[in-house]
Amino acid sequence: MRLMMAWATLRRHPARTTLAVLGIAVAAALLLDMVMLATGMSESFRSLLLTRGYQLRVSPKGTLPFDSEATIDGAGAIVRALRANPDIKAVSPTLGSTLTIDRSRIPSAFTLGLERDVQGDYTIEAGSDITHADSGTTAPLPRIVVSQTFLTRAGHAIGDTITISSGLDAQLRTSARSSRVVIGGMGRFIYVPGETPVIALDLALLRQLLGPSYRDRMSLAMAESRRGDSASVEAVRAWIATTQPRVTAISTETAIRQVEERLSYFRQLAFVLGAISLGIGFLLVATLVTLSVNERRGEIAVLRAIGTQRIGVLQQVFLEGLLLTSAGIVGGLALGLVTAQWLNGILRDFPGLPSAFDFFVWSPAAGWRALALLLTSGTLAGLLPAWRAASIPIARALREEAIG
Amino acid sequence: MAEDLGLAVGARVRISSKPGEPGDSAFIAAIYERKADPAEVARREYRVRLHLDQLQQLMELDDRVDRFAVGTRDGQSIDSALARINHVAFGFRAHKSRDVAVQSSRTFRVVERFHFAIGIITVVASAVFLLCLLLLSVEERKRDIAALRLMGISRATVVRAIVIEAAIVSLIGSVIGAGIGWIASLIVNAHFQELYRTPLVFALLTPQIFAFATGLSLVLGIGSGAAAGWRLVKSSPLALMGR
Amino acid sequence: MAGESVIACEQVVRSYPMGGANVQAVRGIDLRIARGEFAAITGPSGCGKSTLLHLLGAIDVPTSGRVLVNGRDTASLSDREATEFRLRHIGFVFQRFYLMPTLTASENVELPLAEAGMDKRARKARARELLGYVGLGDRLDHRPTQLSGGEQQRVAIARALSNEPALLLADEPTGELDAETGVRLLELFGQLHRDGRTLVFVTHDAVVARAAQRVIRLHDGRVASDTVAHMRSGA
Repeated sequence: MRLMMAWATLRRHPARTTLAVLGIAVAAALLLDMVMLATGMSESFRSLLLTRGYQLRVSPKGTLPFDSEATIDGAGAIVRALRANPDIKAVSPTLGSTLTIDRSRIPSAFTLGLERDVQGDYTIEAGSDITHADSGTTAPLPRIVVSQTFLTRAGHAIGDTITISSGLDAQLRTSARSSRVVIGGMGRFIYVPGETPVIALDLALLRQLLGPSYRDRMSLAMAESRRGDSASVEAVRAWIATTQPRVTAISTETAIRQVEERLSYFRQLAFVLGAISLGIGFLLVATLVTLSVNERRGEIAVLRAIGTQRIGVLQQVFLEGLLLTSAGIVGGLALGLVTAQWLNGILRDFPGLPSAFDFFVWSPAAGWRALALLLTSGTLAGLLPAWRAASIPIARALREEAIG
Repeated sequence: MAEDLGLAVGARVRISSKPGEPGDSAFIAAIYERKADPAEVARREYRVRLHLDQLQQLMELDDRVDRFAVGTRDGQSIDSALARINHVAFGFRAHKSRDVAVQSSRTFRVVERFHFAIGIITVVASAVFLLCLLLLSVEERKRDIAALRLMGISRATVVRAIVIEAAIVSLIGSVIGAGIGWIASLIVNAHFQELYRTPLVFALLTPQIFAFATGLSLVLGIGSGAAAGWRLVKSSPLALMGR
Repeated sequence: MAGESVIACEQVVRSYPMGGANVQAVRGIDLRIARGEFAAITGPSGCGKSTLLHLLGAIDVPTSGRVLVNGRDTASLSDREATEFRLRHIGFVFQRFYLMPTLTASENVELPLAEAGMDKRARKARARELLGYVGLGDRLDHRPTQLSGGEQQRVAIARALSNEPALLLADEPTGELDAETGVRLLELFGQLHRDGRTLVFVTHDAVVARAAQRVIRLHDGRVASDTVAHMRSGA
């Protein structure tokens, strides 16, 4: 009966109840977005890093993956050593560079040299994968995979033959080395910004194009621990650090921590805005319930007079606040998901951000967390006016009502 | 870098292009403060400046540079200089600094748009909150309004009084809110300048922002006061009294 | 009066602060009301009628003196005990009805029954019975705004009777009603009295007071007169 009465009380003033629910919904939406923002970046980055299962990144000593143009010499030996470790399931070496594209709308493109069978940098979306460079003259042309941005901006299509070169002499306008290749497929490059045109080709071919000094170099290697749990990953990382002094190995967790540090501004913003939205929701519920109680002093006094205990009145009023909050939460959930999409779209425009990276990530945990915070806030907001309602002096309230 | 590594002017350091190499010895001649560039915020890399030829020697780069910065003489057209350079140079292009700045400030512009979006959301939330509160405060006094009407005070006068009151409340609220916002901006700036070690100003309360906030608050206050007032005066005074 | 006392007031005083001064609303009242009595407390405005009624109903406690209802000293009850006491032993009817506007007539009558822990089915049956008793058997699902003043007051009476109280107290029950409706309401009170209930109501109207068996007139917080009225259909 109390629930019914609480609901009926809220329906008594539809305009004010609607406005209050709307206000709580907006506050709830903002809170949900901030919770998603606070946890989303690390979740997104984690899933990004673990897309293909590689938990470790091996980069030149003292650098983060692709944070500089530094490369690792003696790549072959390092990769062999890693692959010989029984705790390591797979190793994917990568070499990054920029190659020029002959007779193209774009003069150059970021290029990744990879081993097709173990690569973890892209997924094929159309066409076929890269092929090895064959030395025979009668062998078909090597195939490359490019990003959608490359195809759009360079004005090419799958199946086109292009010439890629390196060692451009700016004075003579000639290249030291070039190769004709066929665009075999289009891929989604996980770690490369969406606006960057990318080429993926066979690692050996890229080394060949870059010249003798790159014969045994790589920019980065990704390694996958066989067992996969964090202790094993850490053990492998430690082994690499001990046995390979010229490289730095970082685990997914370390990489996430470093990215979070760079993006800490957004976490702090999320915390501040989340707190503000909780405060707004709290004030709205507390104000509305308090005013509602003040309006119904006589009614509440009569309830007490006819035998309703203090706790009963407290429950009654408390339920009103809780119902308001709950209605606001439902609206806020839907609104929050919509605004999260909008805000995520704005932040995804950050230059240099991997295309698969999101700032606002929905997860049931984020939803539950926001719900718990809001319900707690709504509960506390309704408590004080509920207690005041339960403490109304009956005789005085009835006297005042008689006079009024 | 000086703080983290405990370096001071006159300190002797060794710099090399690869880890483990002997490199060159150098003295620290000066310590400089990073400029307030939004694109630089959150980048914690250390920066060193040295003479070009020394760096080229260290990196074994011979006669190589990343770029030239070109200044034109007073009165010389930038466009014509740009055209001449691009005409005669092989393999590289000249760009106006302004165009480069536009590109490199993209990070800042994304953050700006994000803040703007958040601003819209908080303005909407505040507007709804303000509307709700003003509606409640007017409805709370319906008996007073009924008494005025019974005395013969016209609807228009009653609504006018409510609107003026709502406007005053909104104005006072905005001023107090601006004060709180100003204090908050001091705290925000102090915190992030310390955190990111930058002189960049993160939050700024300008006269325009104050005018906008106050204006919006006034409009909402007057609008909601008028709406709530008219809703009440439409009912008969006896109904408002609860009879 | 014959019969045990339901109410016994012994030198009851009630004062409360108002505007800086201490106002004595009730000044040393001695009063007994027997089971089955039908009494009216009357007097001019501000004479302490409603205050006395609140004291009799355990809504308020005397500043000094004792109020015994069904043998229990109301001042000795904790808030919880007093509330429970009112729920089980006292039925209230107010001048302004004070029905919950969001509930139907039946639901209003069920309120005290729900508080007393009665299950839903039994509550509904009891509410139906009581509303039938007061002549509103066909108005169960009407909300207060759909009822006339007299009908609302009847619902209030049905609500007051829901837990079979020993005592029914009414504060200016005809105050908001027109004369004809007021008369009909008083006839209902008469019926309740004939059915054995103990009723005490407060009124400023001497004519209305004459509907009761006994008229207690207050003046300035004291009992000015206490007379037994001659009833046409007597007890």
